[in-house]
This record gives sequence, C-alpha cells and structure tokens, in this order.
Amino acid sequence: MKSLVLNKLSKTYFDPYAGSEVTAVREVSLTVKPGEFVAVVGPSGCGKTTILNMIAGFLPASSGEVLVDGRTVHGPGPDRGVVFQSFALFPWKTVLENVAFGPKMRGIAKGEREKIAREFLDLAGLSAAAARYPNELSGGMQQRVGVVRALANHPDVLLMDEPFASVDAQTRMSLQEELLRIWQERRTTVVFITHDVAEAVFLANRVIVLSRGTVLTEIEVPLAHPRRWDALIDDDRFKSLSALVLQKVRSA
Amino acid sequence: MNGLAYLWVRWIWSPYMRATARWPSTRSVVPFLPLIAVWWGVAQAELFPRTFFPGPAEVVSSFFTLVYKGILPEYLADSVTRLAVGAAAGIAIGIPLGLLVGLNRRAHDALWPVLLFFQAIGDIAWLPILLIWFGFGLTTMTLIIVYTVLFPIVLNTVLGVRAIPLDMHRAAKSLGASPLAIIREVVLPGALPNIVTGLRNGLGYGWRALIAAEIIVGTSGIGFLMFDARRAGSVVEIMLGMIVLGVLWFIVDAWVLAPIERATGQRWGMVQRQ
Repeated sequence: MKSLVLNKLSKTYFDPYAGSEVTAVREVSLTVKPGEFVAVVGPSGCGKTTILNMIAGFLPASSGEVLVDGRTVHGPGPDRGVVFQSFALFPWKTVLENVAFGPKMRGIAKGEREKIAREFLDLAGLSAAAARYPNELSGGMQQRVGVVRALANHPDVLLMDEPFASVDAQTRMSLQEELLRIWQERRTTVVFITHDVAEAVFLANRVIVLSRGTVLTEIEVPLAHPRRWDALIDDDRFKSLSALVLQKVRSA
Repeated sequence: MNGLAYLWVRWIWSPYMRATARWPSTRSVVPFLPLIAVWWGVAQAELFPRTFFPGPAEVVSSFFTLVYKGILPEYLADSVTRLAVGAAAGIAIGIPLGLLVGLNRRAHDALWPVLLFFQAIGDIAWLPILLIWFGFGLTTMTLIIVYTVLFPIVLNTVLGVRAIPLDMHRAAKSLGASPLAIIREVVLPGALPNIVTGLRNGLGYGWRALIAAEIIVGTSGIGFLMFDARRAGSVVEIMLGMIVLGVLWFIVDAWVLAPIERATGQRWGMVQRQ
C-alpha cells in the first residue's frame, strides 16, 4: 500500500475556440493515505477526469507534481493501474489473457502469469469466463474483468474513471459492493472519480468535492465496513452524508 | 401437399439442402446457375454468331483441351506466382509503412499527401516509364503489382491504426507495456480487420493490374492467353480466361481471406458476423 500525493497540480491549455488560455485544474493539493479509498465528485467539467489523467500520466501537468510513495511520476506506468469507463479490454485477447497482460509485460512466464490471472478471476467470481472473448460478455462482466486486470498487476494506486457509468443501475450496485469486497481483501490505495454522489459516499473513506478545477471541500465517511446497499440505503448517517455532499456539489 | 410442391421439395430442395449441409461451399455456386442458364440460352438461340458468342459447352471443352496441352496450368502458375511475389513484397513494405504513418505524427504529415498523390497516378500509368527503364520483362510486371498492391494496404493499415481507441493505448501503458509491446499487442491486432480489408482490396487491384500488364508486356500468363487468343480470333479462349480469372479470385477470397477475417475480426467482435 502506497501513499499518493498531489502537490499543487495544475493544468492549463489553450482553447482554440475561446482563443484564450483555459484553466482546467487549479493548484490541487491532496494527500491520499496508503490503503485509503478516496472518491472525487463534482459537476461536469470540474476537472476530475483531467486530474485522474494527470495522476495516471496520460496528460502532462502544466505545473505541480504527482508523487507515489514519495517518488515523482513521469508518464504512465504499472504502479498506477487504471480502470476505464469504456472498459478498454483488448477484444483480441481472451479474458484470461487480458488479466494476465500486466504480468506478461513484466516478463512473467506463461504458466505463472496464467495462475495469477486465474487467482484474480476467482476473486471476482469470473472463473467460468476465462476462455471467453470480451465481446461475448455483458457490460457488467466486462468491467469486472477491467477491475481485476488492473488489480492483477499489483499497482501501488488504483485509478478508476467513472468505471460504472456505462453499466445499468442494478449491475452498478452489485459491482460497487463487489469492488469493496475485493478492496477489503486486496487493500490498495484507490482514487475513484464519479458524478454519482451516493456512489461516492457508499464506496469511499473520504469524499473530495471538486469545483471548477479546485478542491471545494473534503468530507470523511466513517461508515463501517462491510457496506451493503440494502443496509445503508435507509441508514441515517449515510443519508445525511449523501445530502451534505450533494449540497456541496450543487453549490459548486 | 400439391403435386408440384412435392416434386420441388423431393427432387430439388431436399438434395440441395443435403448437399449444402455436407459441402457448405456449394451454396456459393447456386447464384451462378441462372447466369449460366441464360448464357446457354442466348448462345443456343444464336442471337449473335456462334463464333462471337460461344456457349458454356464450347468453353468447357476448350478448358479441357488447354489443360490437356498443359498450357492452362502453366500460364495459371505463372500468373499466380507473379501475383504472389508482388503481393508478398507489397505486404512486407505496406504494413510497416502503414504502421509508421498511422502511429507517428511527423511521418503522417510528411508522407500522407505523398501517398495520396501517388495513389492517384494509378498503376497502369506507370507502365510506359517502367517499360523504358526496365524493358518488357518480369521486373516491370513485378513492380506494377507491388505498386498496385501497396496503396490499399498502406491506406487501410493507417486507418486501422487510427481507429484503435485511445483508451486501449492508455490501458496498455498503465499495465506496463513498452512502445514495442504496444505495437505487438495492441496496434497490430487492433488494426488487423482493416489490414485484411486492405489486403482484399490490394490483391483485387493487383490481380487486375497483373492481367493488364500481361496483355501489354506478357510472354505468358492468363492475360497473355486472352490477348493472344484475340489475335487468333478465338473468343472461346478469351471467355475461358475471363472465367478462370473470376473463379480464381473467388477462391482466394472465399478460402483464404474470408477465413482470416472470420478467425480474427469476427471472432473478436470487431466485425459484424454474417
């Protein structure tokens, strides 16, 4: 488990339509403790995906830095695994091969990496799908493969970019519960981007509310684990926390 | 069941179904049957003089004669070999070039306009200058084929490379893939359906260019066969040549290219299953 520190992270770019500089992210500083699950919420366009892309290394920061375990990051790497909204599974590889991809890139031999992959597929209850191709699976199953693929590479930080947005509401709830279950077993530092306030409060230890490129507020979520939707949906503390976060997001 | 329907099912439909179940490729023959029937009818009715418009029977008989004399197999082998050599060279140059132009911004800006320009010049337009430089021979013909096969392959490869979603590149990078590994594991398979399309188009154009080149330059080959037959006034051989061309391409597409596409694009869900 490693810590993640954002140090005055900024992103500005030149907007050809506006003809001027646009600041997408403005001096965001954040410390995520090892093993912590942090959710970032905010209205559309507040810069949350830009921040995630900078942490992941897909976008260079205009200023500021990202530190994983005290080391500055430059560009993408296996220490920061990513789960995409579009799943981004490789259609030409089977589920097993997809999950074994990270270990393969690290040079692990075939037998060993398939064993690792199967272990993780078991964890997510996907063993039966190992030999299938992604296009044969439902959206929910594909995203589970996406999560497991990122985890199988033992990243220091797991970055999730609205991963359940493309999935139907019921599947989403079971995926959220399953994510927490896996996270409890394989504790890793998580940054989870979403626009769904209830999802953020359900999943996270701490919710960061973003507004127009800066951090508006941070709200701790001291709810006990394991968390279940049927228990929490009527829980007073869950409801008040969700209401508080929602109010902050809307005021942004 | 009324008598006619019974006869249809008993003698035509059921045998057809059984035959196509055991040998699925026979299904593709069926659309040609009406065509052949019309051809036979028109020839039989002698709407045109028999020497100008022979019927299927004459063409088949000529086929057996030429095979017996060994001419047809030899010419066929010549044509196919030339195409294979040209295609191999075209693929060996075209795919890496396509990958480079598709992946590298600078290569793209530098080469794309040039590629489009030369594509427009077209294959046969090069024939006069190649004949001056290399004469009437194998070099000229091979160059024509390589040139013709190259462009669809390059252009489709570029398309295929650029069609790969950005997230897929990002996913590979966040899983620790090096740039070379990304080309091997993401770009090549991702572009493969488009590359196969490029192959299909390239080989199709290459085949046609080959025949044209053989007509002009040739000493052997199917194109030469047809053109030589013109001088002898033998329409039968010309028709035979044309049919051989069609059948050959059909075979290449149905037994080589389509299975590749099925095993890759369709299985991966990137191309709609038929």
